[in-house]
Amino acid sequence: MDAISIENVSKSYDSVNAVSGVNLRVRQGAVLGLLGPNGAGKTTTIRMVMNILVPDEGSILVLGKPVSDETRDSIGYLPEERGLYPRMKVRALIIFLAALHGLSEAEADRRAREWLDRFELGEWSEKKIVDLSKGMQQKVQFITSVIHRPPIVILDEPFSGLDPVNAATIKDVMLEMRDQGSTVILSSHRMEQVEKMCDSICLINHGRSVLDGDLRAIKQSYGKNTVHIEFTGSDAFLNHPAVASVNRFASGVEAKLKPGADAQEILKAAVQSGAQIIRFELLEPSLNEIFIEKTTHA
Amino acid sequence: MRKLWLIIKREYVTRVKTKGFVIGTLIVPLIGIGFTLLIVFLVGHQSKQSLRFAIVDDAGGIAPAVARGLDAKLPNGQPQFNITETIDRPASSSAAQDGLRDKINSGQLDAYLLIPSDLSKPVELHTKNPGNFSLLEPLTNAVNQAVVEARLNARGVHLDNLRDIVHSADLQVIKVSKEGESVEKGQTIGVAIAIVILLYTSLLMYGIITMRSVLEEKTSRTMEVLISAVNPFELLAGKILGVAAVAFTQFFIWTASLGLVASYGAAMSAMTGGSSVLSGLHLPIPLLIYAVFYFFGGYFLYSSMFAAVGAACSNEQDAGQLQWIAMAPLVFTMVIYSLVLNDPSSRASVILSEIPFFAPVLMPLRVSLQMPPAWQMVLSIALLFAMAVGVIFASAKIYRVGILMYGKRPTLPELARWLRYS
Repeated sequence: MDAISIENVSKSYDSVNAVSGVNLRVRQGAVLGLLGPNGAGKTTTIRMVMNILVPDEGSILVLGKPVSDETRDSIGYLPEERGLYPRMKVRALIIFLAALHGLSEAEADRRAREWLDRFELGEWSEKKIVDLSKGMQQKVQFITSVIHRPPIVILDEPFSGLDPVNAATIKDVMLEMRDQGSTVILSSHRMEQVEKMCDSICLINHGRSVLDGDLRAIKQSYGKNTVHIEFTGSDAFLNHPAVASVNRFASGVEAKLKPGADAQEILKAAVQSGAQIIRFELLEPSLNEIFIEKTTHA
Repeated sequence: MRKLWLIIKREYVTRVKTKGFVIGTLIVPLIGIGFTLLIVFLVGHQSKQSLRFAIVDDAGGIAPAVARGLDAKLPNGQPQFNITETIDRPASSSAAQDGLRDKINSGQLDAYLLIPSDLSKPVELHTKNPGNFSLLEPLTNAVNQAVVEARLNARGVHLDNLRDIVHSADLQVIKVSKEGESVEKGQTIGVAIAIVILLYTSLLMYGIITMRSVLEEKTSRTMEVLISAVNPFELLAGKILGVAAVAFTQFFIWTASLGLVASYGAAMSAMTGGSSVLSGLHLPIPLLIYAVFYFFGGYFLYSSMFAAVGAACSNEQDAGQLQWIAMAPLVFTMVIYSLVLNDPSSRASVILSEIPFFAPVLMPLRVSLQMPPAWQMVLSIALLFAMAVGVIFASAKIYRVGILMYGKRPTLPELARWLRYS
């Protein structure tokens, strides 16, 4: 049984197709990266999983059951648009939301204290939300999305606006939840984070899923088609017909090869042109490149 | 149900704890009662002293008749007017008046009356305190009679006591109802208008509170967190019921304190044997019950519309512009209520008061004037609650779509389209 299974789901507002034909299966215990450019339909998809929106077509199963108020309670959700009652006190607010998710108030209180301490917010418990910094509010909101230990958590841009220390704490919590058997869905534009955290991805573009599956398998399917070259001297050899595109960095270049091209030909051309090669490495494409390729050519 | 209860509880607790609620519930009525008592006190005590009064009679011969007419007594037995001097046809009217003005300014005199030589001109009252209206009626009567007497004299009619002859007949209004008859001194109209104003302002106030509450969740972006835990219908219902509980608390405190004041007044007057001002204050309990009942029917109708407006907008300005949708019927009620006040059982009054949007104000108004037939009450209540359910259903649909929509204010056709969304 999958944690979430989305089949051929479509949703349109008035004349705009927000989502048209998304397919996605998230296996239990996975850490899935939900990727896509702005306006691709990620939030709409998440909202349909949360039973906030109803799909026009297709079916969504959460832990094997059709989406309902009941399945919603098994999901913890950190929306991208952050916001909490500004005039409520921190701990009271966490208890209120935890109780809404089904915890008893005593249990909610106990866990709220635990989590506040873990995020070093203990002394802010009796302060109003409005008195907290943005980063602190973000941590409070993260707590409210995981406090009821849901089997599935959906986190939309969980790291935005956090310093590295707090980002690391949240990352630890996510991995901890995975180790305890929860399924984590992470929606983010920070590809390097997704690459580090996720074992599978789903890429949505123009309202459809254009790529999904195991991250390692996806990268392997592209083969080692990228060359990382550090050199001094002329870069004329980069005009070689086997080079599809070049991405320049301070320390060197990443050249993407045309399908079927031989990297050795480029090395040969570089040597012949008199460039001094410091490093020449064949790589799998980064998630960043895959993202750009899939969203600009699709 | 547990979630609904949690939402009602949060809404109630956060609202009741605000300074606004404490001020609105406790301090405003206290100030109101304080002012009423102050006015009662001042009215009761203002004229313990006679008014020191002079008459300048340029016409001649009128002053004694005026003086005869000014024989009213104060509650303590003193004459209301103490006529210190009468100047009959002074050589120089302005010199005589200068003297009197000096006396007024030095505190020896309170006022003087100037009777012009030409009686077709107005008689003038010169006083330091022109706001003392309690003087006007006796003075006007006295001057009137004196002038009429003078005119009759001039035509050869001599009367000793004109006042008894021209004394106007009184008309007393007595209200007939099933409970018996009661002398009407304007209290029915007073209560009727008070009921209309109270219901109108409470419906408007609590409607706007509901709208603001929805809007706050939207502008603070708390909404998405909430609807990832509860469904929008629970959220809307919890909000409306939570604010209703606040309203109920407020009414309860007000009614209870009013009841306390009334029973205190009754006890005081029983003890002193006299009639205290407060003893006139008895609560029309059945009317209150009807008013509260219709208030809640109207509240569910209007607050759900206000909630939908709040959900459709993203900021206070937009909501301010769109709230006329919910307010219009309420404001219209204030335009038409006088129709019912004048003739509560006319066909127009009956029809208007059956319309659910007007019933919450007009029906209690009719009850306060004369009890409508039972079938009209039952019908209006049935229509009101049926309409409330329908409007709540439609508002919930707009609410559901609106709470996630940010950006420009929707137009009416857009709102209509939201109603059709699944």
